[in-house]
Amino acid sequence: MNPVATEAKFMGTVTALSMHEMQNILAIIRESAGLMGDVLKINAQVDFKYRPKMEQTLEHITSQIDRGKKLLEATSRLAHSPDEDLLLSCDLNIYARTVALLSERQVRLKGARVNFTPAATPLPVAVGALMVLMAGYRAVQWAVNTHIKDGYVQINLQAGDTEHALIITPPVGLCPDVRLLDPASISLPGQNARTHWDGNKLFLFFPTQQAADHE
Amino acid sequence: MNKLRVLLIDDEEAFVTTLQERLELRDIEARVALDGQQGLHTLTEYSPHVVVLDLRMPGLSGIEVLKQIRHQWPQLPVIMLSGHGSKQDAQTCLDLGAVQYHKKPLDIEELVHSLMHATSKGW
Repeated sequence: MNPVATEAKFMGTVTALSMHEMQNILAIIRESAGLMGDVLKINAQVDFKYRPKMEQTLEHITSQIDRGKKLLEATSRLAHSPDEDLLLSCDLNIYARTVALLSERQVRLKGARVNFTPAATPLPVAVGALMVLMAGYRAVQWAVNTHIKDGYVQINLQAGDTEHALIITPPVGLCPDVRLLDPASISLPGQNARTHWDGNKLFLFFPTQQAADHE
Repeated sequence: MNKLRVLLIDDEEAFVTTLQERLELRDIEARVALDGQQGLHTLTEYSPHVVVLDLRMPGLSGIEVLKQIRHQWPQLPVIMLSGHGSKQDAQTCLDLGAVQYHKKPLDIEELVHSLMHATSKGW
């Protein structure tokens, strides 16, 4: 077996288990905060000096739980991406969303934000989930490293007959002091997977599962 | 009108006892079992209207408990909970007869809605 695949599977298995545990931890925190909120509501008529502070703190807790939930969803998908049933094909719609969620921090550190628009339907592609994640993440990394801070990295999808595309639109304006790397150097695995830069958007094309089945 | 009675089966004690308290505050009677075996034993002496069952537990798994409940108490609706959240798991549970599947962390109001829905359907 390919040693990289073995290492990826090990990382994935251990990470997945930890993510499941984190889900339980978040669930406990949510219920505990929720119970405090319930008690405050029930005693709404009781004059309590710290009520506004407690309510605000509970809101913070709830919003951070929602934030943690999204990150856990994405990390869990990353962890499961070396699974056998995702080695050769995956739903590009799901994994584009995962790229967006996983990229948020690196994009924010560069002073920008991620904006993702999902497709209306599943987009099965004949490329493994881990490979899609690697290509997508590297593409976003390229986008924020070579373009001016602030603004949005837009991630879209485009359905096609033989290829579906993950489209990265960087923030406007190139960084003047950064040498522009060839976006085609974001190598994509497998046959018939390719990149295309039209001057504004970076397209990552993946063969559709349907097209691959007909070959 | 009788209170809605729920049996919660989950090995995470902090989670399930807090959930129990929150349901009680919503006028829902909730009993707790901390593993599958205890859950099945509780069902021999307590008649809930609905069971809320965690998917992954040490010992008897959620799937095994679900199968046994469907076999011994076929009219008793079961709502599954999971921190794992895969579509496949969800479909497996629904195929085995669970009436609903919720991911953790929960939204209490969604759970209450599912409890009401499960019992009003007369499953």
